[in-house]
Amino acid sequence: MPATFVGRCLGRLLLLLLCVSFSGGSPAGKYPVTTTQDASQSQANSLTKVQVGLNESSGPDLTTQDFKQPSKEHQSNGSFLQFEILLPGPPGTLLERNISLANATTVELSCKLDPDSHLKSPQVTWKRGNETISHTSKTEDSWSIKLVIVDSSKMGSYSCILKGEEEISATFYLHVPKIEAREKPIITYERDTAVMVCKSDSTPMAWTWYMMSGSKPVIINESLWTDKYLISRLSANVTRLRILKLTKEDAGVYWCEAVFELGKSEGKMKLKVLSIMAPLKPFIAIVAEVIILVTTIILYELYSKRKGKCTGEKACDQTEQLKSGESSSASHRKI
Amino acid sequence: MSPPVLSDLGYVLPDGGWGWAVVFGASISIGFAFTFPKAFTIYFKELQAAFSISYSQIAWTTSIMCATTYGGGPISSILVNRYGSRPVVMFGGLLCGVGMISAAFCTSILQLYICVGFITGLGLALNLQPSVIIIGKYFLKRRPIANGLAMAGSPVMLCTLAPLNQFLFDNFGWRGSFLILGAILLNCCVAGALFRPIGAATASAKPQDALKGKITEDATEMSSPKNVPVENKTEEEEGKGCCEKINRYLDFSLFKHRGFLIYLIGNVLMFLGFFAPIVFLAPYAKHTGIDEYSAAFLLSVLAIVDMVARPATGIIANSKWVRPRIQYFFSFAIAFNGACHLLCPLASNYMGLIVYSSFFGLAFGMVCAMLFETLMDLVGAARFTSAVGLVTIAECCTILLGPPIGGTLIDTFGDYKYMFIKCGAVMVLAGTFLFIMNYYNYRMLAKEEKKRKTKEEDPKSVRTENEGRNNWNRDTTQDGPELEPLREEQEGVKMETNGTNEV
Repeated sequence: MPATFVGRCLGRLLLLLLCVSFSGGSPAGKYPVTTTQDASQSQANSLTKVQVGLNESSGPDLTTQDFKQPSKEHQSNGSFLQFEILLPGPPGTLLERNISLANATTVELSCKLDPDSHLKSPQVTWKRGNETISHTSKTEDSWSIKLVIVDSSKMGSYSCILKGEEEISATFYLHVPKIEAREKPIITYERDTAVMVCKSDSTPMAWTWYMMSGSKPVIINESLWTDKYLISRLSANVTRLRILKLTKEDAGVYWCEAVFELGKSEGKMKLKVLSIMAPLKPFIAIVAEVIILVTTIILYELYSKRKGKCTGEKACDQTEQLKSGESSSASHRKI
Repeated sequence: MSPPVLSDLGYVLPDGGWGWAVVFGASISIGFAFTFPKAFTIYFKELQAAFSISYSQIAWTTSIMCATTYGGGPISSILVNRYGSRPVVMFGGLLCGVGMISAAFCTSILQLYICVGFITGLGLALNLQPSVIIIGKYFLKRRPIANGLAMAGSPVMLCTLAPLNQFLFDNFGWRGSFLILGAILLNCCVAGALFRPIGAATASAKPQDALKGKITEDATEMSSPKNVPVENKTEEEEGKGCCEKINRYLDFSLFKHRGFLIYLIGNVLMFLGFFAPIVFLAPYAKHTGIDEYSAAFLLSVLAIVDMVARPATGIIANSKWVRPRIQYFFSFAIAFNGACHLLCPLASNYMGLIVYSSFFGLAFGMVCAMLFETLMDLVGAARFTSAVGLVTIAECCTILLGPPIGGTLIDTFGDYKYMFIKCGAVMVLAGTFLFIMNYYNYRMLAKEEKKRKTKEEDPKSVRTENEGRNNWNRDTTQDGPELEPLREEQEGVKMETNGTNEV
């Protein structure tokens, strides 16, 4: 299965490159196409299939109305993407779209009018912040702008505003891929090793690790402290920092920064270094509780046995005989 | 005044009193033994990162733990036969604690396998079997209730251990958590301390005279020496081979016991499809598009229904209509469980899955509550010690194979429904097999009972009857010893309630 999938992707990529080179639009030739991206991404020039419930990175869904979900599209260089928001859309949905971009692409954002809706020939403006952008293309029911994104200056939020009887606006957020890092603090102990892992959806050009020293961020230079910090790239999208021989001073905030063509993204993690005494206190408390309970139970048993020995008239005589047997059995019972 | 009713153990069982404290201790032990491997999975992600290993490598830890817990059954049985329940459980608790405490200082995955997998697993094995065994020594009439209550410890412990583990992990990291878990596992020693030894000599003083004449040499509590059985023992031991000696520690003659074999085959078959649905319920829910928290809620529903179902099943199984035919009830529970799994693929939305979880929880609780009760019913409390060890080591293989086979089915077909169908089919088959074979067994037992009754009426055979009792531990008699005391008990129930049992 993966082999044919890769084949399909490569085929589509070739098709795209051909189309793009004919249109003469994007500077596809300037950036190297990395093969790892091809294998993991699907390229799309037009409608792609809707994928629900699967964790693969996919092309954009152009047909579904969007809920406020970040979609993870990753494109190789020289690709062309289309994103669309249907207006006014099903009631109760936020008219937003999160688009994460890692590398230089050409993006077309469109706002399409729902044919079932009552809005007729509204006036549409595209805005980025306060500045108005002119349409690139316009049809009877859709308005689009085309953006050529080569660096972080063009990232941000773009909105289309429909002015008709009522004003409706839809927003596209363009951002670099988010980094997955551990949100809860990482708890380690002195002289132990701490492991911090950062994961991204796309392959960054470089990973850098920082730590907070005082109030200034400091780059962790592996070559300077080779026996303290070990940075390894587990795969194209994953980086790992290992801190050996932890001390209390190592506690604090660490973050990993991924550098993409279109900007930087970071993931923050908190490291806590505890001494061995921290878990030792509950440990000793519980052990003490166990010892107390066991002693109480055994003492209660001996007490009730001694009490039970002389209940009942004839029982006392019989227990005389059993006493020798019982005392040896008691010694058996004690470990 | 008719003589007090004897079970095959040779003394009158309290059926209450200190027995309830024993049930409480047993529920703690059983709870730890069954739920600790499940609750341990919270640490997997962190351990994977810490030791740079894959998921399957870390999953071996719990597999080794489960395997040792079930595979250590015979060792448990031998030790209980030799020393009694209490020392074994306390030693088991110590072993668990030591295992987890040493795991806190591990630096490699291999050390983790040994400390968490092997040592803790062995400790849990030394907890599980003796806890189940001692219930059979304290209860006869109310044994299904006692079993149901003791097994209810498992879902209760799961509900407490899972959030506790999460809390410990968030506050102390995995090393500190292991240290504290080691201390928590030492509470098994407390449970063990509650397991007061009971046997013919420690039973009430009044029936002592009657007992002395009828005590057989297969008294289970070998730690409490009795004057009379020792004499019997020395008589019998001359001229017996080493086979008899081995059988005293682990009764291999059980393999000729019809009821035991039926139970063994049925259960080994059942466990192939028993645990896989629980393992895959949450992933299946996520696969159908349900979010993570709702999927986890399904498991909570299962646990809560399970918690209520186990004592309830115990009470039902103890009623006078069900108790004599408890094997049928057990087979019904297994078949019901299988039917639930077969119908699961029909559940299309979240409500359907909630309904499935509730029924699954009910069926799961019913089967678990009667799991050991039915074995006790078939082989009798005296031989149960060895029986439980042999059964758990046989079940060990299928328990471990069940989820991986289910996983392979899911990966091959890409669809969860085949796994559910396989589990359902296997369990319905096991239930049907047990039903039919137990019907046959009950008929054979009734026939043998009739034969014995006609022999008893014949005065010449009194001597042979005594020899028969003396040879109780041998494989000759195939009857379920529980049926006779039960029926006699109904006649002599007034004597019981007169409080001849002091503890």
